[in-house]
Parts: sequence; C-alpha cells; structure tokens
Amino acid sequence: MDFTEASNVAEARILGQAFVREHVTAEMVRDELRTGDGVSRPLMEAMGALGWIAPTWPESEGGAGLDQFQASAIFNAIRAAGGPMVGPGTTMLAANAIRAMGSEELKQAILPAVAKGELLICLGYTEPEGGSDVFQCQTRSVRDGDQWVINGQKIFTTYAHMADFCFLLTRSEPDSKGPHGLTMVVVPMDTPGIEIQAVRTMGYERTNIVYYSDVRVDDLYRVGDAGKGLHVMRAALEAEQNVAPSSRTPRLSDAAQEWALAAPDGRGGVMADDPVVRERLALLAIDAEVSDLLGYRVAFIEQIGGKPGPHAALFGPETYVKWSKEMIDMIGPAATIDWTDPEAVAGGVFEYHFRSAVASTIYGGSSEVLRSLIAEQLLGLPRSRPKT
Amino acid sequence: MNLGLTQEQEAVREVFAALFAKESPPERVRAAEPVGHDPALWGHLIATGALGVAVPEAVGGAGAGLLEVALIAEEAGRRLAAVPFAEPVSAARLLVACGATELLNLVLAGAVIVSLATKPVPLADQLLADGAVADFVLAFDGDRLVAAGRPDDVRHLPNLGSVPFARWQAITSEVVLSDGATAKRLFARAVDEVRVLRAAALIGLAAQAIEIGAAYARERRAFTIPIGSYQAVAHPLADALVSKDGGQLLTWKACWAADAGEPKAPALASMAFAFAADTAYHAAQHSLHLHGGYGFMAEQDIQLYYRRAMGWATAFADPRRELHVIADRTLGPVGSIGPQESTDWEAG
Repeated sequence: MDFTEASNVAEARILGQAFVREHVTAEMVRDELRTGDGVSRPLMEAMGALGWIAPTWPESEGGAGLDQFQASAIFNAIRAAGGPMVGPGTTMLAANAIRAMGSEELKQAILPAVAKGELLICLGYTEPEGGSDVFQCQTRSVRDGDQWVINGQKIFTTYAHMADFCFLLTRSEPDSKGPHGLTMVVVPMDTPGIEIQAVRTMGYERTNIVYYSDVRVDDLYRVGDAGKGLHVMRAALEAEQNVAPSSRTPRLSDAAQEWALAAPDGRGGVMADDPVVRERLALLAIDAEVSDLLGYRVAFIEQIGGKPGPHAALFGPETYVKWSKEMIDMIGPAATIDWTDPEAVAGGVFEYHFRSAVASTIYGGSSEVLRSLIAEQLLGLPRSRPKT
Repeated sequence: MNLGLTQEQEAVREVFAALFAKESPPERVRAAEPVGHDPALWGHLIATGALGVAVPEAVGGAGAGLLEVALIAEEAGRRLAAVPFAEPVSAARLLVACGATELLNLVLAGAVIVSLATKPVPLADQLLADGAVADFVLAFDGDRLVAAGRPDDVRHLPNLGSVPFARWQAITSEVVLSDGATAKRLFARAVDEVRVLRAAALIGLAAQAIEIGAAYARERRAFTIPIGSYQAVAHPLADALVSKDGGQLLTWKACWAADAGEPKAPALASMAFAFAADTAYHAAQHSLHLHGGYGFMAEQDIQLYYRRAMGWATAFADPRRELHVIADRTLGPVGSIGPQESTDWEAG
C-alpha cells in the first residue's frame, strides 16, 4: 500500500503542464467555451506528435508506452487548463475496441493515424428510442457484395460534424432483437448519405443527430464478426465505465476552496470562516478525495489485469451534480453570472459546472444502469430489467 | 502508487478474519450484551498479539504500522467483535511514545486493559468508551497526559450500541506520562489514530451489513419475485457498496499517511471517520429496512449492525461536528486567513 505519487507520474504531470503552456492557448479555451465542440485539431496533432493520444500504447504503435497513472496525469493537466479533451478521450474508446477486435487490415488503416492525432472517431451507439438501452438499436445494415448499406438515425453523436469516422452500432440481422444480430462498423464520415444536424445543449456542449440514408461502407470497416457486435460493444462500454476517470468533483472542490479563502465576508474576514461554508467545503473535500481514490482504484486494478467495476463512474458524477448545486447555493446569485460577463465569480466556473454536471450522470451509462450493474455483478442480486 | 496489500498485510487480514468469524459469531455478540465485552475473545486478541501489531519490535510489538491494525479493526467491525480495540491500540502506541514501558508490558501481556479518553476535557466529565472494562485510561487535561487508575466503583451504562460506557468519577491513581507541548502533540496524534481505527471498524461493519442485506434480498420474495429485483431495494445497496469501497480506500490512505508522516495525515484521519460513520449508518439502515418487519425483530442479526453503526460512531464524536475539524485542517482555523486587501470575488 503506497499512495505516494510515483516519480514518473509527477514527471508526466510536469511534462503535461509544460505542454499546456505551449499548446493550450487562451484562444483555444475560449473557442471551446463558445463552440462546445470538445475537439481541437491542433491540440490533437500536438498530442499525437508526443504519442499522447494513445499514451498507454507501446511506442512501436505510435503510443508513448506510459502506464495508466502517467496517462491520467497528462490528460488531467490538459483538462485542468481547459483544453478540449472530449475528442481524444472518446476516440480512444473506439480505437481500443478496434485494436482488440478489428481485422489486421482495419487496424492498419485506422490505428496509426489515430495515434498521430490525425483521426477523430465519434461514437454512434445511442438512438432516439434507445437511450441507455443501447441494444434497442434499430439502425440497419445490410450486406451487399463487399459492402454494407446502412440506414437509420443516431443521437448524441458528439463532434460528429468534425469526425473522420463513426464507431457505429447497427442491426444486421433483420429479425433479431436486443443484444443479438448486431454488427459494429466504423463508417467514414465523408461517405455520401450522411446528414448531420446540430443539437445545442444547456451545458455549453454541442452534440448532433446523425441520419444515415443508404450509406455504403466497405466490409473492410466492419469491427469483429458480423452479428457479434455485442462483444465489441461490451468491451467498448466496459472501457468507458472503467475509464480512469478524472472526476470533476475535485476540480469543483479546489475552485470552491479558492473562492472561500479569498471572498470577503463583509465583517473583516473571509467566507471560509462561515460555519455553513466550512461544513459544505469539508463534505465536498471528502467526496473529492473519495472520487480521486476510486479513480486511482480503476487505474490500479486495470494495471493488475482485474475488472474494477463502475464505482468511479457512479460516485464521481453523482457527487459532481450534488455539489455543483450546493456551491451555487453557498456562493449566492453572483455564482449564476456566466463566463461571458466580467462580473462572473471565478470566471463563471460554478455556473459552468452546474450546467455541465447533469450530463455526466447519463453518458457512458446512466447512474441507474451502473447501479444495476453493481447490484447484479457485485452483490449477486437478480436482474431487474426484462430479458430481451 | 500501489493500492494493493502486501502478502504480509493479506496474511494479517486473513488470520484475523478467520479469528473473528470463529470467535465472534452473532451468538457470541449477543451473549456479550449489554456490556459489549467478550473476555474470551479478548484473550484471543492478547494471545495473537493484536494489541502490539503496531508497537515497535524493540518494546515487544510486531513493528508494523497503523494500516495493519486498521485491517484488524475492519475485520473486528465486520463481526461486531465485542472487545475494545481502537482506543487500546492507540493507547498502547501512546505509551510507547511516552516511554511508559512498564505499563506497556502489562498491556501486551494482557494483565491490564488501557484505554484512551478522547476528549480534552476533565476525565470525570467524559463518557468513556471502554470505561466499564478498562483498568487504566490515558487522559489529557489540556496540559498533562496522565494514566488514570480505575475507580473502585464503576457502573456500566447500558446503551444502544452495547458500548462498554462508564464514567470515572474518583480515580484511584494518577501517573503523569508527559506534559506541555509534547503531551498535546502526542494526544492529538493518538486521537487521530482512534479516528482512523474507528473508521476501519465502521467500514467492516458496513461491508457485512451490505452482505446481510444482499443475501436477504436474493432470497426474500414479495409480489412473486425476489425483492432484490426491485431497483428501489437494489440501488441503495449498490450506492452503499461504492461508499464502503471508497471509505475503505480513504481509511487506508489515512493510515498510510500517518505511517509515512505525510502532512495531510490529520486531515485524512478526520475525513475517514466522518465518511465511514455516514457510510456505516446508511448501509445498515437500508439493509435493515429491506428486511421489512423482520429487521425490527431482535432475533435478526441486522439490528445488531444497525445499533452499532450508530453507537460506535457517536461513542467517538458527532460526525457533523467532525466536519469542522476537517475544515480546520484543510482551510485553516476560523480567522486564520484575515481580512483581504483586495479581491476580484463577489460574496453575493
């Protein structure tokens, strides 16, 4: 048992911070707030040049040969500076699934360019009728010679408008139901028949609805066996739920402490002297610590080859939502002034967190789905959803 | 960073898990009520050297750290072991720090039980967690750290969590172990060790409360299906499991920080106690609740856990008041920041 940060992790953070100073510009951060794309191509290319898109891959595959802790330290340094990291992080969920399950030819076509930061892959799981129940998938794929013809609609395809590929879940067996008869395809986004419609969100993020009409894709782009998309999906979903998470609860805690230690209380002291503030910040500090520890637990268990379970993916976002609300109550109405106005408290960070937090308990599996996974897999309780 | 236990630590855990499973089954826990002390189990703890695990080898201990005794405390909590542990372990380490080897030898030999009065107020004003069973209590009066001898007349106060509570009005002896700044520092460290060990016991308690609840929810049927199929039953158990695993890591980190002399150690100790107290209560409460009316019956084990989740935490401190200790240790004491000259912030 040793909670000391390894020296190579501290070094990775310092490298990450140096990278931030050079590559994460104020303009980039402002652009991200304005557009909500979650992607910066120059940032991805700069990361790719260092092997940091796929930092845990070996150098021979374009990675940097780092461990999970080093990789998290780098990603968190870039995130903390406001660098858009949704693109690289999400691309890697698809890339890791392709690396594990794709054909040699497909891997060669995609993975080296991913590692260089040249390829952006979005996730096409969710459909308007499905939500967390991804296996409701109705987007059809039909084999036609050496090609697949795809028709259907996906929603919440974040940065689809910028992506090179979509990691798309399709139903290839017409009479199949639920998790059976699915096929996973990576679709080049410049293929004719793809139409993208922007969806604005309350969380400063842009996402998309994507329509697929007679979209023809070479069989080369199939991931795993036809009809066995379930296996590919399961690996990709587990990777998402087990991602060493970079919970945002600790960032909220840091911002709140900084505010409380500087904001005058009008009686010659600071807000950090107020018992109501102190109790909240103490509870938030605990939740921040536990969020971090559960995140480290994921990285540690992954490293020793175990399955960590979705603890961090549940606890981090749940506490993030809870405290994003409490911090506005605590600071008062000025905390609701947004980042566009110079009067915003701490650059509008609390308003931003409140808007942004709610989606975190949904994507990657809603909290209810995660609790059911824990109940079934770790507590041995019966399945609560009907079998499909 | 390595979040795994060493082979030796795993071995400590397994040995004591087996000991408590055998020597502290629910019948023995019930038999030890209302005082909450099982002399036979205590004898086993002395024989295995549990009290000296975190005492240096040079003075007769095993030379391990707080983490190893926390693993024992967790296993004790899992089986609701009716023995004093957190305060006596901390007291033994305090005796080492004060050089009181004579009394320490008696402790390790099992000749006497020495506990700790955790409040910095006069001894006579405290409800002592081990008062009914201890022979000596180490107490700090704001200046001196003393070993106080058990009064002739001690009355156990029957209570919710079967804690061996008693008040010591007229102590029979008093030996000064330390005074001034040293005494204050040593006492503060000892109280932090109690925080961590109580947290560990509460985490063990929570773990077993969750197991009991899950086992019942798998078997018990209502409206034709097992009640664990209902998300309103299952999901709070899942939340409890996550809090238990998080609280265990937090407690382990607090132990590691104390053993390594990390500056964050005191903050982590107070966080671990507050979080574990909350976790244990909610785990036991939901687990009891899902038993329906049966959970209310004395013959059900879950009520033993529910009462101790409350009793063991409150015996040390109000978890909400502990939040102010955490705030002192993370933000600094009230008034320590002082008025600011200029700032961009708007208090609202």
